[in-house]
Amino acid sequence: MLEKFREINLSFPQTSYIKEHISSGKKVIGWLCTYVPEEIIHAAGALPIRITGYQQEQELDDGTAYLYVNNCSFSRSCLQLALRGEYDFLDGIVGGSTCDGVRRLFDLWRKYKGTAFNQILSIPRKFTTQAHELYLSQVTQFKQNLEKHMGVTITDEALTKSIELYNETRALLKKLYDLRKSDSPPISGAEVLEVLDAGFRMPKEAFNDLLSKLINELSESSATHTGRARLAVVGSVLNNPEFIKSIEDQNALVVTDELCTSTRYWSDPVVLDNNKSPLEAISKRYLNNFPCARMYPSDERFDRIIQLVRDFKVDGVVSQIIRYCAPYAHDLPLLIKKLEAENVPILALDVEYGTSGSGQIATRVQAFLEMLEARKQ
Amino acid sequence: MTSKTTNRIESIIKACSVILRMIKARPNVRKSEQVYYEILTKYFTRIRDVKQNGDFLAAHTVFFPTEILYAMNIVPMHTESTTWMTALFTGEATELVTAGAEAGLASEICTPHRGIAGAFTIKALPDPDVMLWSNLICDNTAKSGELIMELCGCPGYFLDHPFQESEQERNYLIGELQGMIDFLQDQSGRKMDWDKLSQLVAEMDKQIKLNREICELRKAVPTPFSPQGFLELLTLDYLFPGQPEATLYLETLRDELKEKVNAKTGAVENERFRLMSLFVPPMYLMSFLEKMSHEFGAVSVIEPFFTYWADGKLDPSKPLESVAQKSYMIPEVQMYGPMTDAKIQRVSDLAKQYKIDGAVFYADTGCRQTCALIKLLKDTLSEIDIPMLTLDSDVVDPTMMSQEDIREKFEGFFELLEDY
Ligand code: SF4
Ligand code: SF4
Repeated sequence: MLEKFREINLSFPQTSYIKEHISSGKKVIGWLCTYVPEEIIHAAGALPIRITGYQQEQELDDGTAYLYVNNCSFSRSCLQLALRGEYDFLDGIVGGSTCDGVRRLFDLWRKYKGTAFNQILSIPRKFTTQAHELYLSQVTQFKQNLEKHMGVTITDEALTKSIELYNETRALLKKLYDLRKSDSPPISGAEVLEVLDAGFRMPKEAFNDLLSKLINELSESSATHTGRARLAVVGSVLNNPEFIKSIEDQNALVVTDELCTSTRYWSDPVVLDNNKSPLEAISKRYLNNFPCARMYPSDERFDRIIQLVRDFKVDGVVSQIIRYCAPYAHDLPLLIKKLEAENVPILALDVEYGTSGSGQIATRVQAFLEMLEARKQ
Repeated sequence: MTSKTTNRIESIIKACSVILRMIKARPNVRKSEQVYYEILTKYFTRIRDVKQNGDFLAAHTVFFPTEILYAMNIVPMHTESTTWMTALFTGEATELVTAGAEAGLASEICTPHRGIAGAFTIKALPDPDVMLWSNLICDNTAKSGELIMELCGCPGYFLDHPFQESEQERNYLIGELQGMIDFLQDQSGRKMDWDKLSQLVAEMDKQIKLNREICELRKAVPTPFSPQGFLELLTLDYLFPGQPEATLYLETLRDELKEKVNAKTGAVENERFRLMSLFVPPMYLMSFLEKMSHEFGAVSVIEPFFTYWADGKLDPSKPLESVAQKSYMIPEVQMYGPMTDAKIQRVSDLAKQYKIDGAVFYADTGCRQTCALIKLLKDTLSEIDIPMLTLDSDVVDPTMMSQEDIREKFEGFFELLEDY
């Protein structure tokens, strides 16, 4: 089953599913940040796909020429793909005011590439009632703009259906993660990331189908993964499974993560409620979801990381922060303090987007694992 | 406040008084410059004496609505300006940045902010009673407050400035401002004086108009304002918005510039190159840059994101709405929010109106959100045949680039402009 997910990722960025969708005359909208509600795009009849950069670390000449060398390699990588025409199949892009890297990526994409539809949502950084009202107004505006652009009406019924579909994805991913709580999980951390990556690049209907099959297969399989330490990976956006694989190749087990491409993407369902419109339910979920480092107060994020550490019996945390990713870098000293209070060691790595985790990183991981082992004895 | 901290604030005050003595001794120095240093002296004296006067000290980040603090009789401490003036006058820039790194801030964080965290770590700045910060103008400002709260053991308020300008966003901002006032009332026991805030708003409106008049005067050929003088305008709004001293400074400056324009006297003797400055030059090189400007006849005549206020008017009968409105009009805030075609077009229009020969972009190593505009601005200006020099530098860290490097780059640029 895992082969199927792998295959999908091989044809990135325009996967066979995307090609098929386009050939049936439908639109594809790219989204740039987990604060953009996919359900709205889906309910409008378009295929929402996540914009990511190159799978591997890459020379980013064009990305750097436009975004300058001091912007995170994630935004430079995405922009370079766009400048080289790899995302020309998109009918629109939707971003959020999440961080400097993404907002400037959006500015330059709009200016130098343009797409028929583009919108950036203002995303408040707080969880207050007023912040929810503001975010709801942004989401409503987004829905209206998309309706106008696509010449459709997004009904509450269609939204509800899309919510149910996406909630199913979330529930399935939770099941997959729950399997990792066991002492010897049937799937590795790198494999989970391959699954997640594929999910961003195909319709959820088909993804849910494949994912259910995978979960069944894993539940019945005798495959086990063990390692000398159970790790959680936290920090900036990560799409390259090789990075996790390089850690696991040192006989460690990545059992969970706090990444916007994984746990933070799927963690909370949209709670449908008769007293609320589907749009309100969507807004509530997206703003209250497992927070990104951009949100205030940071304790909301830290507390959930600590909960993950407990639930997944984590021995140590690997923080991977992409160079020039200020939101996560700022949180690091405070996160270290919180984890120290929990007696959980943390290894802080400065990486580039797409890194495979070899060389110096591997050496540091090795030393960290030795330290974790020594603690256990 | 430890005596070491007091000494550092004292060093700014002392430096200002030395400069003031020098200004008074030189008859042809601008009177406005004297007013400027008097303002700085007053500002830092209040910080130094805060405990002794039983005052309440609020530290806050850049582009913060300080007028609210003045209306509540709270002493503001602008973290960026105070840190970097301390560094400038004590020569401790590297020490502060290193201390910030030791507090856990990696090189992803711009040096201004690493230095601020460093300053609080080594107690170069007094511990405030509260920390206030907002997301204007970047992720670094948005994320700086919590660490400072931790380092100083004080409570804080994060002012969430919305990204765009819809009606809902303006209302959100007004709510955020009200939330901050409530927080400050609770913490300080001081009440908001709404009449005072109205007066401050009226004064700020006057000050914005004066800023616009000053910009208009700088259009003259030759331009009358000192080559790097625009930094005074920035600092003034950072530290003293709505204060009568700031009005006095702006009126004095306006009158001086008027006189110069009438007499057709330029800021430099032989004006050859009219420049547009994009982002802030290295602070520690100001006198070097000033000297070079005179040598080459090169003057900054407009800074679209630093001195050019966006359209709009403040209404003293609606003080809180006006504070929100002002924060949308601040020149630097034009870099926040989406970089729309209208904003880009404005840069190009200003270049024409101010008869610019070339633009200089000070590419600060740690400043991601501004550097990401380099290509966009370069392309925009090149469409109207204006070359742009990109100068890799650092606003505060003197180890980034030497005077010789900068001189060489400028010389090459001036040669290019000559041939244009
Ligand atoms: S959160 Fe960090 S890695 Fe992600 S886009 Fe923003 S700056 Fe880049
Ligand atoms: S220098 Fe740049 S990154 Fe640093 S605080 Fe200023 S705008 Fe933000």
